[in-house]
Amino acid sequence: MKLKIHRFTAMGCPCELRFYGKKEIEIENAFSECVARTKEFEHKYSRYLDDSVTTTINRSAGKNRTTIDQETFALLDYAQVCFELSNGFFDITSGTLRQCWNSQITELPSQIQIENCRSRIGWEKVTYSQTEIFLPVKGMELDFGGIVKEYAADALVASARENGVEFGLINLGGDIAMVGPQADGSPWNIGIVHPAIKGATIATIELGSGALTTSGGYERFIEIDGQRYSHLLNPKTGFPMDSMLSATVIADQAVVAGSITSIALLNNEKEGLRWLENSKLPYLAITKNLDCLGTLARTD
Amino acid sequence: MKKTDPLLALTTAALSLPVFAGTPPTEKEISLRASSYEEDDISKTSVLSGSPERYKIDKTHFRLLTPLGSDWSTEINTSQEVMSGASPWGTFSGSDEQPSLIMSGATIRDKRTEVAVSITNYQDDASYGVTLGTSREDDYKSRSISLSAGWDLNNMSTLGIGFSFSDDDIEPTDAEKFGRIQQAKKQTRSFSVSWTQIINANSLLFSGLTYTNKEGFLSDPYKLRDTRPDKKTEWAASLKYRIFIDSKNAALHLNYRLYNDGFGINSHTVNAEWHQNISSRWKISPRIRYYSQSQADFYLDADDFSLPKTVNQSSDHRLSGYGAITVGIQMNYDLSGWKIKIGFDRYISDNRYGHDSSRHSHPALLDFNLTSLGIEYKF
Repeated sequence: MKLKIHRFTAMGCPCELRFYGKKEIEIENAFSECVARTKEFEHKYSRYLDDSVTTTINRSAGKNRTTIDQETFALLDYAQVCFELSNGFFDITSGTLRQCWNSQITELPSQIQIENCRSRIGWEKVTYSQTEIFLPVKGMELDFGGIVKEYAADALVASARENGVEFGLINLGGDIAMVGPQADGSPWNIGIVHPAIKGATIATIELGSGALTTSGGYERFIEIDGQRYSHLLNPKTGFPMDSMLSATVIADQAVVAGSITSIALLNNEKEGLRWLENSKLPYLAITKNLDCLGTLARTD
Repeated sequence: MKKTDPLLALTTAALSLPVFAGTPPTEKEISLRASSYEEDDISKTSVLSGSPERYKIDKTHFRLLTPLGSDWSTEINTSQEVMSGASPWGTFSGSDEQPSLIMSGATIRDKRTEVAVSITNYQDDASYGVTLGTSREDDYKSRSISLSAGWDLNNMSTLGIGFSFSDDDIEPTDAEKFGRIQQAKKQTRSFSVSWTQIINANSLLFSGLTYTNKEGFLSDPYKLRDTRPDKKTEWAASLKYRIFIDSKNAALHLNYRLYNDGFGINSHTVNAEWHQNISSRWKISPRIRYYSQSQADFYLDADDFSLPKTVNQSSDHRLSGYGAITVGIQMNYDLSGWKIKIGFDRYISDNRYGHDSSRHSHPALLDFNLTSLGIEYKF
């Protein structure tokens, strides 16, 4: 069996496919199929593309209803569950806060600016059905970013298997889903990024099936007057979260693992740790003191 | 944080995403299986006359499953059985009160051919199926239809209902020569309802209830004295539990079935299977099954020739009270699209194993070996 690696960029992230196969052409076909599938998801749910489902919904905010397909409905339903489980912290309408907090700002946003953004946030205000969605406030926006990348990783597992790949892994910007272990049956070694030292890993996790995702506020942050602010924003206060540095979880589906880690980072450190513990999934939490906690933390 | 189990809630929601949702088959599947069923000979001391050699059945089975468009699939099953051996005609009480058998003298040879065609339609949250079947052997013809429907409720539960009807014709061989009934009919109607509950990502529970009504000639025409009621109702309740144990990379299947019928037979079946993944290609599955039944109301240890033939009576070993144990093993080997299965089972039965057994162990109670080899290909 040969191992081939394919790297590409999609959804604003570096992506990597590692597939084993007998014939080069079979692996290449599987690569093409997976890249096409990823681009499809990107095209469908990107906030930046003019004809995406997300843009169409957002443009109709405060005006009219938008017709949606079954997949979008299922994603909205999934977002609803995340919203409920996180007591409203996981809110796919909270993206407008980026207008207050982005890499361009040089000073803290004013309370008025924040209130202005917050008036356009609130998943509970959104009405949707199997066929339609309506955002009631002008300027309100949906952002599927916290779900679709993970969901796409799961979808690529299915695509890879349909193309005959039994051994391989899919990595969409750190959301990792297993097609299967390595060809000899041994697990893959997955390095977990060090939240404080650029380019270093803080832990290595072995995985042969299921999916692994990591959320961290460290990857993108805003620095104002020497103070770092996480890109993870609290929809209730409009301010960045003061959460743990990073959370990693293993679950059967990348989409589930991703929601668990995202919600962990949308809480303060103590609540986040409790949430991870309650999830009953294998996890690794890196606290603000750079302590590694959880069932995946090893002392060596 | 809410008290809801977050993993369960998220997994449930994730499973309705199109990537995970239950979909009709997208691959064709073809399988061929051959099995050999061989009953142990009866101890010569228990046979008064006839051959102690019992049944041997060689069976070949062919299955083709293919999708038809995006919402339909069809499945074709055909099988052929070639049987040979002798069967018990009657049971006599010997001098020591131990029953002995009269067996058919010549070896019976028969061939059975079965064909069934199913069509299933898949909707978003439901599936509907129809199966038409026919089975033929020299002395028995059967035609059947069955309808089934399944509804996916909130992705964690499935409700299933089924109905089947079969119409059978019985034409015993050598009827005139031995004074057997020349022609008879039998009809079977069966209703079932089932509930499958996904408990969590690793386990599920299935519960089912089946009611069957049989009418017509329910006796065994080849026995010297065998008169059974011409109506029979049957109830069966079953529970199946499946759990995948991550730490062992194995699945445990536990099944229980409770059965009761209008002939007065109650039975319990318990079986356990352990499916151990050895590597990504090999799987080994040992299994054990226990069965126990009480005797029918009109069961006799030995035929009573003073009893008028109009009175219900039978000394068929299958109506006696007994217990049985099966121990078996199956090996599966997967190779890119191909799957090879080899299985072996040993079955032993005796009145000592039962919970409510007949007084004497029926000399015709079976012990048998079942060996099977199957090949499956998906494309």
